[in-house]
Amino acid sequence: MVNRDNFLQGEELDHKLRVYTDITQLIASPENPTPLVRVNRINPNKDFQIYLKLERYNPFGSVKDRIVYQMLKALDIGDMTVIEPSSGNTGIALACVANALGIPIEIVVPEKIPEEKKVMLRFLGAKLMEADDALCPVFPSEGARGLVNAVIKSPATKGNYTSPNQYENKLNVEAHYRTTGPEIWQQTHGKVSYFFAGFGTCGTISGIGKYLKEKNPGVKIIGVEPASQDHKLPGMKRITGLAEEYVPTILDSSVIDDIVAVTDDDAYGIAMELARKDGIPVGPTTGAMLYVAMRYARSNKGLAVVISPDDAFKYASFYQNFL
Amino acid sequence: MNSEYDLSGFICPLSLVKAVTVIDNLGDGEVVKLILGDSDSLKSVVGELKVRNIRPSFVKDGENRFVLTITK
Repeated sequence: MVNRDNFLQGEELDHKLRVYTDITQLIASPENPTPLVRVNRINPNKDFQIYLKLERYNPFGSVKDRIVYQMLKALDIGDMTVIEPSSGNTGIALACVANALGIPIEIVVPEKIPEEKKVMLRFLGAKLMEADDALCPVFPSEGARGLVNAVIKSPATKGNYTSPNQYENKLNVEAHYRTTGPEIWQQTHGKVSYFFAGFGTCGTISGIGKYLKEKNPGVKIIGVEPASQDHKLPGMKRITGLAEEYVPTILDSSVIDDIVAVTDDDAYGIAMELARKDGIPVGPTTGAMLYVAMRYARSNKGLAVVISPDDAFKYASFYQNFL
Repeated sequence: MNSEYDLSGFICPLSLVKAVTVIDNLGDGEVVKLILGDSDSLKSVVGELKVRNIRPSFVKDGENRFVLTITK
Protein backbone atom coordinates (compact mmCIF):
# COMPACT_ATOMS: atom_id res chain seq x y z
CA MET A 1 0.00 0.00 0.00
CA VAL A 2 1.37 3.37 -0.95
CA ASN A 3 1.71 5.75 1.93
CA ARG A 4 0.85 9.23 0.72
CA ASP A 5 3.17 10.67 3.36
CA ASN A 6 5.90 9.35 1.12
CA PHE A 7 5.20 12.23 -1.20
CA LEU A 8 7.58 14.58 0.49
CA GLN A 9 7.39 17.60 -1.74
CA GLY A 10 6.54 20.60 0.39
CA GLU A 11 8.79 19.59 3.26
CA GLU A 12 11.73 21.77 4.10
CA LEU A 13 13.93 22.42 1.10
CA ASP A 14 16.41 25.04 0.02
CA HIS A 15 16.54 25.87 -3.68
CA LYS A 16 19.26 28.46 -3.13
CA LEU A 17 21.71 26.04 -1.55
CA ARG A 18 20.07 23.12 -3.37
CA VAL A 19 19.57 20.96 -0.31
CA TYR A 20 16.66 18.53 -0.51
CA THR A 21 15.10 15.81 1.58
CA ASP A 22 13.67 13.95 -1.42
CA ILE A 23 14.64 13.65 -5.07
CA THR A 24 11.15 14.70 -6.23
CA GLN A 25 11.71 18.13 -4.68
CA LEU A 26 14.05 18.86 -7.58
CA ILE A 27 11.22 18.69 -10.08
CA ALA A 28 10.94 22.10 -11.70
CA SER A 29 8.49 24.68 -10.45
CA PRO A 30 8.23 28.48 -10.66
CA GLU A 31 10.45 28.61 -7.56
CA ASN A 32 12.94 26.24 -9.15
CA PRO A 33 12.61 26.67 -12.91
CA THR A 34 14.45 24.80 -15.61
CA PRO A 35 16.86 27.08 -17.52
CA LEU A 36 15.88 29.25 -20.44
CA VAL A 37 18.88 29.54 -22.76
CA ARG A 38 19.12 31.76 -25.82
CA VAL A 39 20.14 30.31 -29.15
CA ASN A 40 22.82 32.57 -30.56
CA ARG A 41 25.02 31.45 -33.39
CA ILE A 42 22.52 29.57 -35.51
CA ASN A 43 19.84 32.26 -35.40
CA PRO A 44 20.87 35.28 -37.48
CA ASN A 45 17.71 37.30 -36.79
CA LYS A 46 18.30 39.44 -33.70
CA ASP A 47 14.73 40.71 -33.93
CA PHE A 48 13.41 37.20 -33.35
CA GLN A 49 15.27 35.82 -30.37
CA ILE A 50 14.83 32.13 -29.67
CA TYR A 51 15.16 30.65 -26.20
CA LEU A 52 15.20 26.96 -25.38
CA LYS A 53 13.44 25.77 -22.24
CA LEU A 54 15.85 23.02 -21.23
CA GLU A 55 13.73 20.40 -19.51
CA ARG A 56 16.65 18.00 -19.26
CA TYR A 57 17.50 19.81 -16.04
CA ASN A 58 14.66 18.09 -14.26
CA PRO A 59 15.93 15.37 -11.88
CA PHE A 60 14.99 12.43 -14.11
CA GLY A 61 16.07 14.16 -17.28
CA SER A 62 12.96 15.32 -19.08
CA VAL A 63 9.81 17.42 -19.21
CA LYS A 64 7.84 14.35 -18.12
CA ASP A 65 9.12 14.64 -14.56
CA ARG A 66 6.63 17.45 -14.01
CA ILE A 67 3.54 15.45 -14.97
CA VAL A 68 4.54 12.10 -13.51
CA TYR A 69 4.78 13.35 -9.98
CA GLN A 70 1.36 14.99 -10.17
CA MET A 71 -0.31 12.02 -11.84
CA LEU A 72 1.18 9.43 -9.51
CA LYS A 73 0.31 11.47 -6.46
CA ALA A 74 -3.35 11.58 -7.46
CA LEU A 75 -3.62 7.92 -8.45
CA ASP A 76 -5.42 5.47 -6.17
CA ILE A 77 -2.74 2.78 -6.35
CA GLY A 78 -3.43 0.55 -3.37
CA ASP A 79 -1.69 -2.77 -3.98
CA MET A 80 -1.84 -2.50 -7.74
CA THR A 81 1.01 -2.29 -10.21
CA VAL A 82 1.31 0.93 -12.19
CA ILE A 83 1.48 0.45 -15.94
CA GLU A 84 1.88 3.12 -18.61
CA PRO A 85 2.63 3.38 -22.33
CA SER A 86 5.64 5.59 -22.94
CA SER A 87 8.17 6.41 -25.60
CA GLY A 88 10.67 6.51 -22.77
CA ASN A 89 10.68 9.78 -20.89
CA THR A 90 7.45 9.26 -18.98
CA GLY A 91 8.54 5.71 -18.25
CA ILE A 92 11.90 6.80 -16.86
CA ALA A 93 10.29 9.49 -14.69
CA LEU A 94 7.58 7.07 -13.53
CA ALA A 95 10.15 4.42 -12.66
CA CYS A 96 12.20 6.86 -10.62
CA VAL A 97 9.28 8.28 -8.66
CA ALA A 98 7.72 4.83 -8.23
CA ASN A 99 11.03 3.45 -6.97
CA ALA A 100 11.26 6.24 -4.42
CA LEU A 101 7.79 5.26 -3.22
CA GLY A 102 8.15 1.48 -3.47
CA ILE A 103 5.49 1.11 -6.16
CA PRO A 104 5.86 -1.73 -8.71
CA ILE A 105 5.97 -0.41 -12.25
CA GLU A 106 5.59 -1.78 -15.78
CA ILE A 107 6.24 0.29 -18.88
CA VAL A 108 5.06 -0.55 -22.39
CA VAL A 109 7.25 1.06 -25.03
CA PRO A 110 7.06 1.17 -28.82
CA GLU A 111 9.62 -1.24 -30.27
CA LYS A 112 11.33 1.49 -32.25
CA ILE A 113 12.38 3.82 -29.44
CA PRO A 114 16.16 4.16 -28.92
CA GLU A 115 17.90 1.31 -27.13
CA GLU A 116 19.30 3.84 -24.68
CA LYS A 117 15.84 4.42 -23.24
CA LYS A 118 15.08 0.70 -22.98
CA VAL A 119 18.38 0.15 -21.17
CA MET A 120 17.59 3.00 -18.78
CA LEU A 121 14.19 1.53 -17.95
CA ARG A 122 15.74 -1.87 -17.27
CA PHE A 123 18.49 -0.20 -15.25
CA LEU A 124 15.77 1.38 -13.12
CA GLY A 125 14.19 -2.02 -12.54
CA ALA A 126 10.98 -1.35 -14.45
CA LYS A 127 9.38 -4.35 -16.08
CA LEU A 128 9.48 -3.58 -19.77
CA MET A 129 7.15 -4.70 -22.55
CA GLU A 130 7.78 -3.77 -26.15
CA ALA A 131 4.90 -3.29 -28.55
CA ASP A 132 4.94 -3.04 -32.28
CA ASP A 133 3.15 0.12 -33.38
CA ALA A 134 0.84 -1.91 -35.61
CA LEU A 135 0.09 -4.42 -32.85
CA CYS A 136 -3.47 -3.42 -32.16
CA PRO A 137 -6.27 -2.57 -34.60
CA VAL A 138 -8.04 -0.69 -31.80
CA PHE A 139 -5.13 1.78 -31.54
CA PRO A 140 -3.64 1.84 -35.05
CA SER A 141 0.00 2.98 -35.02
CA GLU A 142 -0.01 3.05 -31.21
CA GLY A 143 0.46 -0.52 -30.05
CA ALA A 144 1.82 0.48 -26.65
CA ARG A 145 -1.35 2.38 -25.79
CA GLY A 146 -3.44 -0.53 -26.99
CA LEU A 147 -1.51 -3.02 -24.91
CA VAL A 148 -1.85 -1.01 -21.72
CA ASN A 149 -5.54 -0.60 -22.43
CA ALA A 150 -5.84 -4.38 -22.74
CA VAL A 151 -3.93 -5.01 -19.51
CA ILE A 152 -6.22 -2.62 -17.63
CA LYS A 153 -9.44 -4.04 -19.12
CA SER A 154 -8.74 -7.77 -19.53
CA PRO A 155 -10.80 -9.89 -17.10
CA ALA A 156 -7.67 -11.87 -16.20
CA THR A 157 -5.64 -8.82 -15.17
CA LYS A 158 -8.32 -6.30 -14.23
CA GLY A 159 -7.86 -4.95 -10.72
CA ASN A 160 -4.18 -5.77 -10.62
CA TYR A 161 -3.08 -2.74 -12.63
CA THR A 162 -3.72 0.95 -12.73
CA SER A 163 -2.47 3.56 -15.17
CA PRO A 164 -1.91 7.31 -14.92
CA ASN A 165 -2.94 7.43 -18.61
CA GLN A 166 -1.06 10.53 -19.65
CA TYR A 167 -3.10 10.82 -22.86
CA GLU A 168 -6.32 11.46 -20.97
CA ASN A 169 -5.13 12.69 -17.58
CA LYS A 170 -5.97 16.35 -17.01
CA LEU A 171 -3.13 16.58 -14.49
CA ASN A 172 -0.80 16.28 -17.47
CA VAL A 173 -2.14 19.62 -18.70
CA GLU A 174 -2.44 21.10 -15.23
CA ALA A 175 1.18 20.39 -14.35
CA HIS A 176 2.26 22.58 -17.26
CA TYR A 177 -0.40 25.19 -16.59
CA ARG A 178 0.80 25.49 -13.00
CA THR A 179 4.56 25.23 -13.52
CA THR A 180 6.04 25.42 -17.03
CA GLY A 181 3.72 28.19 -18.24
CA PRO A 182 4.34 30.48 -15.25
CA GLU A 183 8.08 29.78 -15.45
CA ILE A 184 8.22 30.90 -19.08
CA TRP A 185 6.17 33.98 -18.33
CA GLN A 186 8.43 34.95 -15.40
CA GLN A 187 11.68 34.12 -17.16
CA THR A 188 10.80 36.26 -20.18
CA HIS A 189 9.33 39.06 -18.04
CA GLY A 190 6.09 38.60 -19.93
CA LYS A 191 7.74 39.29 -23.28
CA VAL A 192 7.27 35.86 -24.81
CA SER A 193 5.41 36.27 -28.10
CA TYR A 194 5.83 32.83 -29.70
CA PHE A 195 5.80 29.40 -28.08
CA PHE A 196 6.75 26.22 -29.94
CA ALA A 197 5.93 22.71 -28.74
CA GLY A 198 5.36 19.31 -30.28
CA PHE A 199 2.29 17.12 -30.23
CA GLY A 200 2.73 13.97 -28.16
CA THR A 201 0.33 13.44 -25.31
CA CYS A 202 -0.47 17.12 -25.96
CA GLY A 203 -0.25 18.04 -22.26
CA THR A 204 2.67 20.43 -22.75
CA ILE A 205 1.21 22.49 -25.57
CA SER A 206 -2.26 22.55 -24.02
CA GLY A 207 -1.15 23.54 -20.51
CA ILE A 208 1.49 26.09 -21.43
CA GLY A 209 -0.60 27.40 -24.32
CA LYS A 210 -3.57 27.98 -22.05
CA TYR A 211 -1.48 29.78 -19.43
CA LEU A 212 0.32 32.04 -21.90
CA LYS A 213 -2.88 32.89 -23.78
CA GLU A 214 -4.51 33.89 -20.50
CA LYS A 215 -1.60 36.18 -19.70
CA ASN A 216 -1.47 37.59 -23.23
CA PRO A 217 -3.95 36.48 -25.89
CA GLY A 218 -1.53 37.75 -28.52
CA VAL A 219 1.05 35.04 -27.81
CA LYS A 220 1.24 32.67 -30.77
CA ILE A 221 1.23 28.97 -29.93
CA ILE A 222 2.79 26.86 -32.67
CA GLY A 223 2.35 23.09 -32.71
CA VAL A 224 4.97 20.92 -34.40
CA GLU A 225 4.34 17.45 -35.81
CA PRO A 226 6.28 14.89 -37.85
CA ALA A 227 5.82 15.14 -41.61
CA SER A 228 4.69 11.51 -41.77
CA GLN A 229 3.36 8.82 -39.45
CA ASP A 230 6.55 6.84 -40.00
CA HIS A 231 9.18 8.98 -38.33
CA LYS A 232 12.18 8.94 -35.99
CA LEU A 233 10.97 11.55 -33.54
CA PRO A 234 10.10 9.48 -30.44
CA GLY A 235 7.32 10.93 -28.36
CA MET A 236 6.00 13.06 -31.17
CA LYS A 237 2.71 12.41 -32.88
CA ARG A 238 1.32 13.48 -36.24
CA ILE A 239 -2.07 14.99 -35.47
CA THR A 240 -3.00 16.00 -39.01
CA GLY A 241 -5.16 13.34 -40.59
CA LEU A 242 -5.50 11.38 -37.37
CA ALA A 243 -9.00 10.10 -36.73
CA GLU A 244 -10.58 12.07 -33.91
CA GLU A 245 -10.87 9.09 -31.57
CA TYR A 246 -7.07 8.69 -31.58
CA VAL A 247 -6.25 12.31 -30.80
CA PRO A 248 -5.39 12.65 -27.08
CA THR A 249 -8.49 13.88 -25.29
CA ILE A 250 -6.45 16.42 -23.32
CA LEU A 251 -5.48 18.37 -26.45
CA ASP A 252 -6.87 21.89 -26.26
CA SER A 253 -6.78 22.87 -29.91
CA SER A 254 -8.35 26.26 -29.13
CA VAL A 255 -4.96 27.57 -27.96
CA ILE A 256 -3.08 26.57 -31.10
CA ASP A 257 -2.48 29.16 -33.82
CA ASP A 258 -0.53 27.12 -36.34
CA ILE A 259 0.59 23.54 -36.98
CA VAL A 260 3.80 22.90 -38.90
CA ALA A 261 5.17 19.54 -40.07
CA VAL A 262 8.89 18.68 -39.99
CA THR A 263 10.86 15.88 -41.61
CA ASP A 264 13.35 13.72 -39.72
CA ASP A 265 16.21 15.11 -41.80
CA ASP A 266 15.35 18.69 -40.92
CA ALA A 267 14.85 17.91 -37.23
CA TYR A 268 18.09 15.94 -36.83
CA GLY A 269 19.97 18.39 -39.03
CA ILE A 270 19.12 21.47 -36.99
CA ALA A 271 19.70 19.61 -33.70
CA MET A 272 23.21 18.73 -34.83
CA GLU A 273 23.83 22.26 -36.05
CA LEU A 274 22.73 23.58 -32.65
CA ALA A 275 25.11 21.22 -30.86
CA ARG A 276 28.00 22.14 -33.14
CA LYS A 277 27.49 25.91 -33.24
CA ASP A 278 25.84 26.74 -29.93
CA GLY A 279 27.05 23.81 -27.83
CA ILE A 280 23.58 22.72 -26.73
CA PRO A 281 23.00 18.94 -27.06
CA VAL A 282 19.26 18.45 -27.54
CA GLY A 283 17.09 15.56 -28.67
CA PRO A 284 15.63 15.31 -32.18
CA THR A 285 12.17 16.52 -31.14
CA THR A 286 13.73 19.75 -29.93
CA GLY A 287 15.37 19.88 -33.33
CA ALA A 288 11.94 19.64 -34.97
CA MET A 289 10.54 22.51 -32.91
CA LEU A 290 13.66 24.62 -33.34
CA TYR A 291 13.51 24.09 -37.10
CA VAL A 292 10.02 25.59 -37.14
CA ALA A 293 11.08 28.47 -34.89
CA MET A 294 13.95 29.21 -37.28
CA ARG A 295 11.48 29.37 -40.17
CA TYR A 296 9.39 31.84 -38.22
CA ALA A 297 12.55 33.85 -37.54
CA ARG A 298 12.87 34.56 -41.27
CA SER A 299 9.85 36.82 -41.39
CA ASN A 300 8.76 37.69 -37.85
CA LYS A 301 9.82 39.73 -34.85
CA GLY A 302 9.48 38.80 -31.23
CA LEU A 303 10.71 36.56 -28.45
CA ALA A 304 10.24 32.85 -28.98
CA VAL A 305 10.41 30.01 -26.49
CA VAL A 306 10.95 26.46 -27.73
CA ILE A 307 10.33 23.60 -25.33
CA SER A 308 13.27 21.18 -25.25
CA PRO A 309 11.85 17.98 -23.73
CA ASP A 310 15.13 16.18 -23.04
CA ASP A 311 18.70 15.88 -24.34
CA ALA A 312 20.81 14.33 -27.08
CA PHE A 313 22.33 11.57 -24.97
CA LYS A 314 19.23 9.36 -25.01
CA TYR A 315 19.32 9.34 -28.82
CA ALA A 316 22.96 8.59 -29.55
CA SER A 317 22.06 5.48 -31.57
CA PHE A 318 19.53 7.47 -33.62
CA TYR A 319 21.93 10.36 -34.24
CA GLN A 320 24.49 7.85 -35.46
CA ASN A 321 22.43 7.41 -38.64
CA PHE A 322 22.53 11.13 -39.39
CA LEU A 323 26.24 11.78 -38.80
CA MET B 1 3.46 -32.78 -26.30
CA ASN B 2 -0.08 -31.40 -26.57
CA SER B 3 -0.94 -28.35 -24.48
CA GLU B 4 -3.84 -25.99 -23.97
CA TYR B 5 -3.55 -22.30 -23.20
CA ASP B 6 -6.66 -20.50 -22.03
CA LEU B 7 -6.20 -16.91 -23.15
CA SER B 8 -9.90 -16.10 -22.95
CA GLY B 9 -9.32 -13.74 -20.03
CA PHE B 10 -7.13 -11.47 -22.13
CA ILE B 11 -8.48 -8.96 -24.65
CA CYS B 12 -6.67 -7.89 -27.80
CA PRO B 13 -3.78 -7.14 -28.12
CA LEU B 14 -2.75 -8.70 -24.78
CA SER B 15 -4.16 -12.00 -26.02
CA LEU B 16 -1.99 -11.68 -29.13
CA VAL B 17 1.14 -10.98 -27.07
CA LYS B 18 0.43 -14.07 -24.92
CA ALA B 19 -0.27 -16.18 -28.01
CA VAL B 20 2.95 -15.07 -29.68
CA THR B 21 4.90 -16.13 -26.59
CA VAL B 22 3.28 -19.58 -26.80
CA ILE B 23 3.94 -19.88 -30.53
CA ASP B 24 7.56 -18.71 -30.20
CA ASN B 25 8.22 -21.46 -27.67
CA LEU B 26 6.65 -24.25 -29.69
CA GLY B 27 8.89 -27.08 -30.81
CA ASP B 28 8.62 -28.53 -34.31
CA GLY B 29 5.60 -30.82 -34.61
CA GLU B 30 4.21 -29.71 -31.28
CA VAL B 31 0.42 -29.22 -31.07
CA VAL B 32 -1.29 -26.58 -28.93
CA LYS B 33 -4.79 -25.34 -28.36
CA LEU B 34 -5.25 -21.60 -27.90
CA ILE B 35 -8.55 -20.54 -26.37
CA LEU B 36 -9.54 -16.97 -27.14
CA GLY B 37 -12.41 -14.96 -25.71
CA ASP B 38 -13.27 -12.32 -28.29
CA SER B 39 -13.38 -11.84 -32.03
CA ASP B 40 -10.68 -9.13 -32.09
CA SER B 41 -8.29 -11.56 -30.40
CA LEU B 42 -9.23 -14.29 -32.86
CA LYS B 43 -8.64 -11.98 -35.81
CA SER B 44 -5.23 -10.84 -34.49
CA VAL B 45 -3.96 -14.30 -33.62
CA VAL B 46 -5.12 -15.81 -36.92
CA GLY B 47 -3.39 -12.93 -38.71
CA GLU B 48 -0.17 -13.64 -36.84
CA LEU B 49 -0.38 -17.35 -37.67
CA LYS B 50 -0.92 -16.51 -41.33
CA VAL B 51 2.25 -14.41 -41.35
CA ARG B 52 4.08 -17.43 -39.92
CA ASN B 53 2.55 -19.82 -42.45
CA ILE B 54 0.76 -21.78 -39.74
CA ARG B 55 -2.76 -22.96 -40.61
CA PRO B 56 -4.89 -23.49 -37.51
CA SER B 57 -8.02 -25.56 -37.15
CA PHE B 58 -10.83 -23.54 -35.66
CA VAL B 59 -13.81 -24.36 -33.43
CA LYS B 60 -16.30 -21.87 -32.03
CA ASP B 61 -16.99 -23.32 -28.62
CA GLY B 62 -19.73 -21.04 -27.28
CA GLU B 63 -20.71 -17.39 -27.73
CA ASN B 64 -17.32 -15.92 -26.84
CA ARG B 65 -14.97 -18.88 -26.86
CA PHE B 66 -12.83 -19.64 -29.86
CA VAL B 67 -10.48 -22.60 -29.95
CA LEU B 68 -7.54 -22.64 -32.35
CA THR B 69 -5.52 -25.79 -32.65
CA ILE B 70 -2.15 -25.29 -34.22
CA THR B 71 0.77 -27.47 -35.16
CA LYS B 72 4.17 -25.97 -35.76
